[in-house]
Amino acid sequence: MLRFIGTRMAQLAVVVLVVTLLFYWMLNLLPGNPCVAAFGGAATPEQIAECEQDRNLDDPVIVQWAKWGGDVLTGDFGKSYLTGRTFGEAISNALPRTLLLLAYSQALALGAAIPLGLWSGYRQDSVGDKVVSGGAFALLSSPVFVVGLVLILVFAVKLDWFDLGGYRPISEGLVAHFKVMFLPAVTLAVGLLPIYLRLLRTDVIGTLQEDFVGTARAKGLPVHRVLLTHVLRPSSFTLLTIFGIQAAQAVNGAIVVEYLFDLDGVGSLLVSWVAAREYLLVQTLVALIAAVFVTVTALVDVVYSMLDPRVRRR
Amino acid sequence: MTDPSETTTAAIKPRVPTRFLRIPIGGRFRATLVDAESRAGPRRGKINIALWLSVGWLALVLAGAVLAPWLGFLEDPNRPLAGDPELGPSWSHWFGTDQLGRDMFARSVWGSRLSLSIAGPAVGIGVVVGGVLGVMAGYFGKWIDLVVSSVVNVALALPALVFALFIVTVLGQSYVNVTIAVTVLSIPAIARIARAQALRFAAREFVTVAKTMGARWPRILFRDVLPNVVPALASIAFLAMGIVIIAEGSLSFIGVSVGSPSITWGNILAAGRGRLEESPHIALTTGGVMFATLMALNFVGDELLRRLDVREARI
Repeated sequence: MLRFIGTRMAQLAVVVLVVTLLFYWMLNLLPGNPCVAAFGGAATPEQIAECEQDRNLDDPVIVQWAKWGGDVLTGDFGKSYLTGRTFGEAISNALPRTLLLLAYSQALALGAAIPLGLWSGYRQDSVGDKVVSGGAFALLSSPVFVVGLVLILVFAVKLDWFDLGGYRPISEGLVAHFKVMFLPAVTLAVGLLPIYLRLLRTDVIGTLQEDFVGTARAKGLPVHRVLLTHVLRPSSFTLLTIFGIQAAQAVNGAIVVEYLFDLDGVGSLLVSWVAAREYLLVQTLVALIAAVFVTVTALVDVVYSMLDPRVRRR
Repeated sequence: MTDPSETTTAAIKPRVPTRFLRIPIGGRFRATLVDAESRAGPRRGKINIALWLSVGWLALVLAGAVLAPWLGFLEDPNRPLAGDPELGPSWSHWFGTDQLGRDMFARSVWGSRLSLSIAGPAVGIGVVVGGVLGVMAGYFGKWIDLVVSSVVNVALALPALVFALFIVTVLGQSYVNVTIAVTVLSIPAIARIARAQALRFAAREFVTVAKTMGARWPRILFRDVLPNVVPALASIAFLAMGIVIIAEGSLSFIGVSVGSPSITWGNILAAGRGRLEESPHIALTTGGVMFATLMALNFVGDELLRRLDVREARI
């Protein structure tokens, strides 16, 4: 088990190292001075000199990269030269929003996918199953920004049930918070739901053919007990694996959703830094996101192998 | 699924619990027991209306994208006041007009031109590169497999859009760079499926026979393994196309795809977002076209996968 975790971590470390080194190398190939670019063309020579020294621009690429790595490891994540905000300040403001958005959407997606998946797997090829599966297929083909626009149009513009225009923390009241967060969470969940649902449905259909399901029914257990206690657990292993992968891919959706709903989370931060050419901040943020998500995937793998001993033997 | 041909297949084949036939790496699995050889089996000969509707729609969109400059009835997508500003859909302007009075139908068609000309090469290169890497990993195993699988697994665990943003930031927002970014994203997913397919066929009797008869690896690879992997890759290409279109759409929606005078589906929707209250038709028409196209791509891809019985088909 330890070896397994070790391999995963080593893979992660190698990838982050290679990607950031590549980034540095590409930055070096770009024409122009990154420090001039970072100030948006309106900087005094002193500012530029300070920035150049800060970023060790006189050193060879590999030394610059090593120094950046050292800074990040010792907790110095850099700052925006344009606004003067440090990486830490920007992140501590944005991170809770993104995490809440991800948590709500995963809860909504799983909350809908588990009952629907169990039921449509149990009633395979019934009219209801066909409707659910067809709906899932349609949702799978809907880009998150199209879903978001339609939801905004219907529920915020026409019906006026929800608020647009920026994040509101829970401290401003639960109702205000959910009026702002519900639509973004649903938008993101709509992308995840069909993936979870289709997976679970396929696995439920497989599990239902097992002998122990027949035994459980023969003992006289009602259908819902059999589905919830005997079928759900063995059917949820693939769901769990994919959950790790989807947690990472949900960030894609989160970037778009935050942009769409003006939430100013981590995704918006990334986009604004990209627009402002804050390359080093982008790099640090990408490295952090990569680290977090490979860790999540590895953790999911660990939990998976604890739940299902067969995996460890692979 | 009470197709008579399927019952015959099931009667001949030993009944194995489907669970053991699936490779648990994640995704949409085919749970059928039908083997690849029996692809002539289920559902063949039936005319599938939804499938042909999808194919027809894709052909229409493709024709529009390719022929846009030569279509006489199409307005110039950049001409202001082709009609009154912010008209709803009508006979003369099928998708209405935007706040500058530009014809939205023309913009939608021209948008498909750019979106598809990014997605096409991206998927083409992705299938070739991902296919070669995956087949090599699956067939040769050992260190090649270790390297390819490690890279693929880690790449799939990373948020794709973040990396696309990253690439476009560094290289700049141009057609070529956006295409590179989305191509890089499509490779690992395709490689994984190619690997699974190659792995499956590398263990088959006819490969063992070829080896016993003294065939060398290039011959086995090109004559025995590759022909079995290619159909699966072809169907994956449709699904990958949908994903690449969404990826490019997301990039241009947040304003980091090809620069602003170009028209893409994503930036039409981004513009429509600001006018949602006054003229929802701007976002809804192009959104609808995009949805229909993705739906058709997924449908064709899914149907091909089902007919070819590719077990691991998730991207």
